[in-house]
Amino acid sequence: MALISLRNTSVDIPIYGIGSSSLKMTLLRRAVGGSFGTSGHTLTINALSGISFEARDGDRIGIIGQNGSGKTTLLRVLAGVYPPTGGDVVVDGTVSPMFDISLGMAADATGIENVHICGALWGLGKFEIEQGIADVVAFTELGDYLNIPVRTYSTGMLLRLAFAIATLRRAEILLLDEIIGVGDATFMKKAQDRLLAMASQSRIMFVSSHSMEIIHDLCNKVLWLYQGKVKGFGDIDEVIGRYLETPANAGGAAAVISAEPAATLSAALSTV
Amino acid sequence: MASGISDLRAGLVAWRLWTLLGWHDIRQRYRRSVLGPFWITLSMAVFTILLGVIYSRIFSMDIAVYLPFVALGLIVWSFISSTTMESANSFTDNAGIIRQIRLPFSVFVMRTVWRAFIVFLHTIVLIIPIALYFRLPIDMNTFLFVPGLILLFINQVWVSVVIAIVSTRFRDIPLLIATALQILMFASPIMWPVSALRDAQFVAAVNPIYHLMEIVRGPLLGETPPLLSWLVVIMMCVCGLGLAAMLLTRASRRIVYWL
Repeated sequence: MALISLRNTSVDIPIYGIGSSSLKMTLLRRAVGGSFGTSGHTLTINALSGISFEARDGDRIGIIGQNGSGKTTLLRVLAGVYPPTGGDVVVDGTVSPMFDISLGMAADATGIENVHICGALWGLGKFEIEQGIADVVAFTELGDYLNIPVRTYSTGMLLRLAFAIATLRRAEILLLDEIIGVGDATFMKKAQDRLLAMASQSRIMFVSSHSMEIIHDLCNKVLWLYQGKVKGFGDIDEVIGRYLETPANAGGAAAVISAEPAATLSAALSTV
Repeated sequence: MASGISDLRAGLVAWRLWTLLGWHDIRQRYRRSVLGPFWITLSMAVFTILLGVIYSRIFSMDIAVYLPFVALGLIVWSFISSTTMESANSFTDNAGIIRQIRLPFSVFVMRTVWRAFIVFLHTIVLIIPIALYFRLPIDMNTFLFVPGLILLFINQVWVSVVIAIVSTRFRDIPLLIATALQILMFASPIMWPVSALRDAQFVAAVNPIYHLMEIVRGPLLGETPPLLSWLVVIMMCVCGLGLAAMLLTRASRRIVYWL
């Protein structure tokens, strides 16, 4: 059984780089007895405040909200990478966070080598990776391309590979951050099927999306975030109804399938 | 303290991940070059020969004594300096991973240390032609190299953990370290023998680099490292690991917000 329980959870993200992160400022502040700079406190962003909800087996929760409302921060809290700065978080179950699926991809390594590298990052054992390679070969249909460096791949091919690797791991709790979107029609169909299969095997799933269509298709509950707070949680039609009634959201209600994954993919590759 | 220790332990258990990542960093760095990582070997060979020939005259020492000394000094020093310097970026370089997958923080530090260790292995092989050419003695002392190297490795692990944490929070630290290392290189008995200090031997004795040097370089040169050096390094490892665990415990909930 998997269980997620948040009680009064807050995340305050400190903002450095306005001078406070340098040693000089800290030393100066020490030297002048705390009266230097912004009254000795670091500027923080209230990314999440007072979040409370529970999720149990079978919950498929869509997270909606405007940009900057805390969707990604909440997913990171659930993934265990953002320790809450206030309140409690209980996440009971193995978690598969699929935010940037091309994470860890090395441009100069071959497709197969990337299965090893990324697979290990995603927490797969040696044996699981060996087994997964056949799966990746079948799913990506990249054939001999898998034996040459991925920098020669097209964006679509890269996405296929990244997607195949990221979906190798079966976890109890699945966290998706707006990843559905690129590729030709046949691949999209395949990717959706695989994602749905993965979703049906997971016990709890969170999907953050701006597309009400995707939320409708995949979820049975909705969590509406507004400025880091829960504005609505529960029945999908009721919450989405209220969300769309808010003037600011009505315009952008149409299915927005972002082109972001392609951009982040190539950005990620250029940095490794 | 407990969470820091468990982070270090979990990091150790995940050795397959960091050896893979570290090894891959090296392959990435030298991909498509003909010599690959043996560029490191080649450049170190040229550097030591030049230095050996010139400085043996400056110090009016026998080249058969000085060249092996300076070669090993530089090889060990580059391991110390590269782990110290590169660990400053251990967390920032892996920011993407840290923000997505919950892994022990020590994994990223070990990736850096392992990468430097692979470079070290590519340069330490030079000892074989040097030992053959200058007929260095091979006896019981030679085998002390193994515990010496293990202690050096452990020492660099805690140093790297501490530097990685502090550098992520204070971005001046990496610059400070780069400067400090440059000064330290000339202040440590790497290119000059301790005997050249004459009556100022304490300058070496108070320098931790000297003791690290002694336990790795000494055995390969056929010397028995002084007991003091073993004790100093063991003490540094114990206290240092404690410090690393303490810092990890205090920082592990904040590192991700410092990135």
